[in-house]
Amino acid sequence: MSRFWKWTLGSFLGLVVLVFAGLSFMAGSPRDVYGLVRYALPHMHRGRLNPGDDAPDVRLLALDGSNHFHLRERTGARPLVVVFGSYT
Amino acid sequence: MVKIYNDYKDHADFLTVYVREAHPTDEWQMKSNVKEDVCYAQPKTLEQRVAIANDFVQRQKYPLPFGIDDMSNTADLAYSAWPERLYVIDEHGRVAYAGGMGPFKYNPEEVRAWLAKRFGAVTQTSSTAAPPAAKR
Repeated sequence: MSRFWKWTLGSFLGLVVLVFAGLSFMAGSPRDVYGLVRYALPHMHRGRLNPGDDAPDVRLLALDGSNHFHLRERTGARPLVVVFGSYT
Repeated sequence: MVKIYNDYKDHADFLTVYVREAHPTDEWQMKSNVKEDVCYAQPKTLEQRVAIANDFVQRQKYPLPFGIDDMSNTADLAYSAWPERLYVIDEHGRVAYAGGMGPFKYNPEEVRAWLAKRFGAVTQTSSTAAPPAAKR
């Protein structure tokens, strides 16, 4: 391997280590960097709904675990603020 | 969001939709969740999802109306909801506000600003709404 390629490879690996260390510091730990890449990155391109688009109707389950309702049943009379999330 | 709900529930409807877990124990668990004893595996059945949603509502004394996404993640996929996201849907069934992907672009204050523009500024300490700055 020529000296040029050794330097190029070494610089690239050094850069990878630096980026990983920086991300680990920002995210909290190396494990969080893995989580970010594994679970969050695939979702970052999503979100194609824009103001003015028709809001998709979806069927949801009530907290009692047996009754269902449609999101669009809650719209019409007043604006509807929808909060999506989970516990963790 | 609870404060915004309390401030604007006389003007707008609210709905929380529980989608699949963001940081379950068997995926990307956060230290903060361990510290707060919020430790759940990703639900494999709808019954498990319902149980966690009920735990959340009871432990947090969460007052907003609640719905639960199905195991095909229909609502999550339709609204790009995971891990958390905010929307406002107007009276015509159209998206009036579409928030960014949480947690970094999850911004309840943008929803408050939308509601304040529509209905005027409202706070729990002052129940008198200021005149709306605009019709929409």
